[in-house]
Amino acid sequence: MDGRVMAMSEIEFSLNDAFARSPLGLYVHVPFCASTCDFCAFYQTTPTRSGVEGYLNAVRQELELVRLRKPVDTVFWGGGTPGLLAPEDLRTLGDTVLGACGQRPAEWTIELAPASVTDARLAVLKELGVTRVSLGVQSFSHALLDALGRQHTREQVLKAYARVRDAGFASVNLDLMFALPGQDLAAWELDLKTAIDLAPDHLSTYCLTFEEDTKLWIKLSKGQVKLDPEHEARLYERTWDILDGAGYSQYEVSNFARPGHACAHNLNTWRMHEWVGIGPSAAGQHDCLRGANTADLDKWMEGIARGERMTDDRVRLTSGLLVEDAMVFGLRMNVGVDLQALKTRFPAAGWADLDRTLTRLSEQGLVERTEAVVKLSRRGRLLADSVGSELVGVLSEA
Amino acid sequence: MDVSLTRNFCIIAHVDHGKTTLSDRLLEYTNTVTQRVLTAQHLDSMDLEKERGITIKSHPVTMVYPAKDGNLYKINLMDTPGHVDFAYEVSRSLAACEGAVLLIDAAQGVEAQTVANAHLATAQGLKIIPVINKIDLPSANLELCMKQLEDILTIPAEEAILASGKSGIGIQDILEAVVARIPPPRWSHHPSTRALVFDSLYDSYRGVITYARVFSGSVKAGDQMLLMSNNQKSEIKEVGVFTPKMTKTATLDAGDVGYVISNIKDTTDIKIGDTLTLARNPASEMLPGYKEVRPMVFCGLYPLESSDYEKLKAALGRLRLNDAAFLYSSESSLALGFGFRCGFLGLLHMEIIQERIRREHDVEIISTYPSVVYKVKAHGADEIEVDNPVNLPDPGTIEYICEPTIKASIHIPNESMGDILALIMEKRGMCDHTDTLDANRVMLSCVLPLNEILVDFNDRLKSVTHGYGSMDYELGDYVQSDLVKMDILINGDPVDAFSSIVHREKAEGKGRVLCEKLAEIIPPQMFKVAIQAAIGGKIIARDNVKEMRKDVTAKCYGGDISRKRKLLDKQKEGKKKMKMIGKVNIPPDTFIQILKN
Ligand SMILES: Nc1nc2c(ncn2[C@@H]2O[C@H](COP(=O)(O)OP(=O)(O)O)[C@@H](O)[C@H]2O)c(=O)[nH]1
Ligand code: SF4
Ligand SMILES: [Mg+2]
Repeated sequence: MDGRVMAMSEIEFSLNDAFARSPLGLYVHVPFCASTCDFCAFYQTTPTRSGVEGYLNAVRQELELVRLRKPVDTVFWGGGTPGLLAPEDLRTLGDTVLGACGQRPAEWTIELAPASVTDARLAVLKELGVTRVSLGVQSFSHALLDALGRQHTREQVLKAYARVRDAGFASVNLDLMFALPGQDLAAWELDLKTAIDLAPDHLSTYCLTFEEDTKLWIKLSKGQVKLDPEHEARLYERTWDILDGAGYSQYEVSNFARPGHACAHNLNTWRMHEWVGIGPSAAGQHDCLRGANTADLDKWMEGIARGERMTDDRVRLTSGLLVEDAMVFGLRMNVGVDLQALKTRFPAAGWADLDRTLTRLSEQGLVERTEAVVKLSRRGRLLADSVGSELVGVLSEA
Repeated sequence: MDVSLTRNFCIIAHVDHGKTTLSDRLLEYTNTVTQRVLTAQHLDSMDLEKERGITIKSHPVTMVYPAKDGNLYKINLMDTPGHVDFAYEVSRSLAACEGAVLLIDAAQGVEAQTVANAHLATAQGLKIIPVINKIDLPSANLELCMKQLEDILTIPAEEAILASGKSGIGIQDILEAVVARIPPPRWSHHPSTRALVFDSLYDSYRGVITYARVFSGSVKAGDQMLLMSNNQKSEIKEVGVFTPKMTKTATLDAGDVGYVISNIKDTTDIKIGDTLTLARNPASEMLPGYKEVRPMVFCGLYPLESSDYEKLKAALGRLRLNDAAFLYSSESSLALGFGFRCGFLGLLHMEIIQERIRREHDVEIISTYPSVVYKVKAHGADEIEVDNPVNLPDPGTIEYICEPTIKASIHIPNESMGDILALIMEKRGMCDHTDTLDANRVMLSCVLPLNEILVDFNDRLKSVTHGYGSMDYELGDYVQSDLVKMDILINGDPVDAFSSIVHREKAEGKGRVLCEKLAEIIPPQMFKVAIQAAIGGKIIARDNVKEMRKDVTAKCYGGDISRKRKLLDKQKEGKKKMKMIGKVNIPPDTFIQILKN
């Protein structure tokens, strides 16, 4: 064996070592939607019988291709609209996934569009052991829902929420969006209040993002809608205050939970642990690789048949990349980053340089730090991307 | 050698009065250039010259004219640079002639450069032939022009020839007047060979080409020539005349205008106004009027892309070959990187060089604020010249600073008087006296600091007078003035490229404008960043860069990490290109945007 290969396997060894005791997540992308929402950049397609069958098959094959080296702790079914699958398809998918997990996952989330919530589907999910339901509400206002091209009404949302609650899932989340075109502060406060009154366990509130190639993006580039960072900042801060007052503590830029209800799956990704991505466009990070499946149902299935996965944006993980990302993405969490733990995991990183940068950022009032922990200040949280870009190149270039 | 059948003359005029058009007509009339070959405006051969309608390089041409008296005359027409920046070159071109055709646009009448050029020509002892041109224009006012000739220029009106370069009227009359009124070449009986160097050119095949007017004796290939200003000797390889293309001849004799190619390698050795003589029987006295020209205006030139540094350096070297008045040396700036300090005769010269770098040499450049040359005396030190604010001694030690002035004559319509006086005041000028030109126009004679006309004086003059104002100037004295160095600070750190020497009373206003502009152009920052203008330690103006309010991705899950990562890497690359000043990352084009206007 020559020296290079030796060195590489040493890195892999130490990375694997670093990952050995860390949790493992499993993300399954269900790529079907009834129609396309104006703000959505997720990969999704209209379901057909053969498409769904091919998909279910390929998921099984892909799970066989992945050699899971440890049992799965968390499962997340996202989309697309997983709830669009028929109850028996949901069961098939669930059985396949469970079979690969090696244990009953402690947390199992499914994203559901309110319009797709039926008692039959909920029953199957409950039986499978799904613990967490995330409802894509976005808004309770007819006008705003319409403007987003969403396919449900306020009444459907309320009915769906009641059904989910009745089914008795351990944790229920509502997804909301703000800074929508035409939504002023009062309108957003009303949406928030409606959500709080429903008393979900978890709330995700997303500032509207103009993703490239979406209908909203086109409107923006045509000047039909305008960006107003000042307004967005006000809505952010208002959201934090209102939810804090209502007993939801913020644990990430856009996520709030009652005690014990934070999403473990997402926490693990932000801490740069491991997760496997299954399905078209699904991204994963495990076995020293980061990458995503191709965002096309047919091409993904063809690839899986050839034994190929994670073909897009594929990079080999290095300690440098991981430690930097653990900082950049970790800082988005309110608990911040446990520097002591990170140092133990990546002892060789550029800690002295980081220290200087953090001192500067803290002088500028953007981060708060103690010996062991660094977190964003309230102002820093609104500037998390800029703060993150200050950290790039600092830790990895040691 | 008989010089009685040779005439040397030039055409002088205010810009746009038709000099080039008339020159072309003369070449055509004498069959020097056939109509077919004659591209419109033959003599202005550089693109830039055609575009701006100004002559930058001298283009002499030799014509043969069968006059009405039955003799065949050799007539040399000298084209003169058309701008005050090149006043010395103009004076040398004039010195190579015995007469001048003074053109007056029949519709415009006498303008500032008409007067200035007429004075220059008279000072050189030239016979002036007044020509009222463009008489084909319906708006021609011959009567007024005649009156102005007499009143302003004190030239008898009956000497005027009526012409139109465009319609070909009066061409023969002009040629007849050149033959009859202009004396034959002067000083032809001097015992040694003497030739006046009035320009030079670098040709990549033939090397340095010297343009010369022979006054006495003759030069030919094989002669050892001697340049009198620096005693440089070299062997002549070829001589010839311009017809208008370079045509080799056996000799250049007294009265001739032509070119001399020797084995001189470097155009910087050819000084305009120098006297060329022969080593074997050298003249003891130079032709009159030689002086060293020195740049009056300086600025830093930087490549827009730092990778273009070598290309810019090569371009400057090449331009220098053809332009001994242009100087450069390397300098570096914190804000702009590596570049060159460049010296020019004046603003137009500066603009032309910059244009040529961009167009002919294809290098994108950015220039710092132009500066004049100050004379500065610090305690216990000799007076020094400062052309870059960065080199100003510590303000506490300065005894005095002197700045160059100009003596300007400004021609304006009567009704603009108030506005122009206000403009002159604003520019720290003083009006000595006013002369009435005619019922509608006045001429103001004033003294202005050169520094104040560097930026927008001419544009303002034109706009206030609706295009009817014109100006000519010559350099005046250095005068002591209350000048200070103003620095611009970003978050406490000075930005060298923005330092400038300004009059104390103007510092605050200028500082405020700059701070405002910078605060607007620098992208919002994560923390409060002050932009300040300061004199010494004293802040005289300030503004703040906008504070960034929100920059956070809403959704950042497993599937978003790769994309976010790519963005971060791209930002990191971008950051490498930024200039860090005062702990602020400043996009490189910030400075450029400010310096551009
Ligand atoms: N009507 C008219 N226009 C002329 C005449 N001579 C020149 N022009 C125009 O005046 C402008 C300036 O001419 P040009 O020869 O370049 O002037 P220069 O700046 O003195 O060299 C051009 O637009 C010419 O076409 C003329 O005799 N009659
Ligand atoms: S339902 Fe969800 S995945 Fe489908 S288009 Fe709408 S936002 Fe996108
Ligand atoms: Mg011209």
